[in-house]
Amino acid sequence: MLRIDGLTAGYSAIPVLNGVSIKVDEGQFVAIVGPNGAGKTTLFKTISGIVQPSAGTITFEDHDLLAIRPSQRAHLGIAHVPEGRQVFPSLTVMENLEMGAMTEAGQRDWKHNIERIFEWLPILAERRGQFAGTLSGGQQQMLAIGRGLAGSPKLLMLDEPSMGLAPTIADFIFERLIEIRRQSNLTILLVEQRVAEALESADHGYVLEAGRVALEGNNETLRADDRIRKAYLGM
Amino acid sequence: MTQALEGFLQALSAGLLIGAVYGLMCVGLGLIFGVMRVINFAQGDFMMLGMYAAFYFFTAFGVQATFGNTFGPFVAILLAGPVLAVFGYFVHLTLISRVSGMRTSSLEGEGHYAQLILTLGIALILQNGGLLVFGSVLASIRTPLSSSAWELGPMVYDVSVFINKARGIDAVVSLVTMLLLTLMITRSRIGKSLRAAADNPTAATYMGIDVDRAHRIAFALGTGITAIAGGLLATNYPFHPFVGVEYVIVMYAGVVLGGMGSLIGAFWGGMTIGLVQQMSTLILPTQLQNAAIFVVFLLIIFFRPQGFFGRMVERT
Repeated sequence: MLRIDGLTAGYSAIPVLNGVSIKVDEGQFVAIVGPNGAGKTTLFKTISGIVQPSAGTITFEDHDLLAIRPSQRAHLGIAHVPEGRQVFPSLTVMENLEMGAMTEAGQRDWKHNIERIFEWLPILAERRGQFAGTLSGGQQQMLAIGRGLAGSPKLLMLDEPSMGLAPTIADFIFERLIEIRRQSNLTILLVEQRVAEALESADHGYVLEAGRVALEGNNETLRADDRIRKAYLGM
Repeated sequence: MTQALEGFLQALSAGLLIGAVYGLMCVGLGLIFGVMRVINFAQGDFMMLGMYAAFYFFTAFGVQATFGNTFGPFVAILLAGPVLAVFGYFVHLTLISRVSGMRTSSLEGEGHYAQLILTLGIALILQNGGLLVFGSVLASIRTPLSSSAWELGPMVYDVSVFINKARGIDAVVSLVTMLLLTLMITRSRIGKSLRAAADNPTAATYMGIDVDRAHRIAFALGTGITAIAGGLLATNYPFHPFVGVEYVIVMYAGVVLGGMGSLIGAFWGGMTIGLVQQMSTLILPTQLQNAAIFVVFLLIIFFRPQGFFGRMVERT
């Protein structure tokens, strides 16, 4: 579904990503883990078109993504739940969800989607009239996820949904994500620093270090890998 | 006593009427600033173009013949709005978009320096171009209503207030325009996407909103709104190609008073300026009208630096 080949990108002349290749198949849950500054967020921004790559290709379904304007990429079925939530603070919860549903598919499935989103994340239904800027961090994260789901995406990209949240809230959000995936069979690409949780629930994982893929493999291979056990899982 | 009360009520009503038009004028600028974060120095000159557009619609394009002297001017003014909106759309497409929007969001200072120079340049071109095309003779859009009044009263103590008919209609047109704009911004899909683009352009792009297009729409709307306000002012005040300079300061004062980025705030900011301008004549000589505006402006900003409707916390 999503195929990234030899991607090099960065800010100014310094590349943050150096020849990264990643593949996500339909229905897969792929996790990208790695330390701060490894280029995980830059990778997502390049997929969404906010950062221009200097080399490499990105293919989504049959589209050459780099030839498509950033604002059009959501309409192909890519939902980006950005790092640090980035909800629209002066819009209400409901209006934020409506913004998530700007795509054709989101318009078509609005009724069905909003029902499911409220079922999965009931706090959003409770706070629907409240300005998003007044929500707590965890609630904003749930709103950002709901906003991503509202567009009926084919691929949901989640950038560190646990960032800056209390561990119990982060756990709750993880548990919700797994439930959402179980019920919807959505293809998910997740970037996380909580390596243990991310690798536990993903089918396939990549370890990104200093802009390169240092390691990749399926769930069992990665969790059994000595380097991962030492560096990330503390074993 | 009676005379003082009469003077007070007269100044108050004049302030409210002119304030409604100033409010609309400020809203045009506030919309552009709020959505795009672009400081547009040419806004006063867009307003000048709106005045001339209304003037020529009225005199040269048959509006006077069709709708008559009394209501023709208002029809011409309402026509000038869409025309200037189209003008604003193309100014953004050809010029402003090159120094604003997603293209510059990653630059240092977000392209503000280039925006200042560009809009100042557009202002100069419009002023001097206007002088070339329209000439320096004062123009005005007079209607018989400009020199007749409704009498309210006599009320208590036999006090009567006179409402200039043209100004009364100006205020009503302003309020209706403001109401329609507010409905559009708060209720419609396009209005919501403008607000989303203002809140967080990057996240708006992730939603599939074309931020540059949203900016173009905001710029067109803001230009059209200010043009209508300009036309309304022209029913009472004569104008010339450099009239924009006089008003652009008032527009900025109104937007800052209301709180940068708030449309309803910009309206109340403009209203406050209208009220201060008219009420100050009660105690100060007329020449000090504009000085009074800025004394009050400084006082309000001193006690409430974020403006009436502004938020202290900068959005993340």
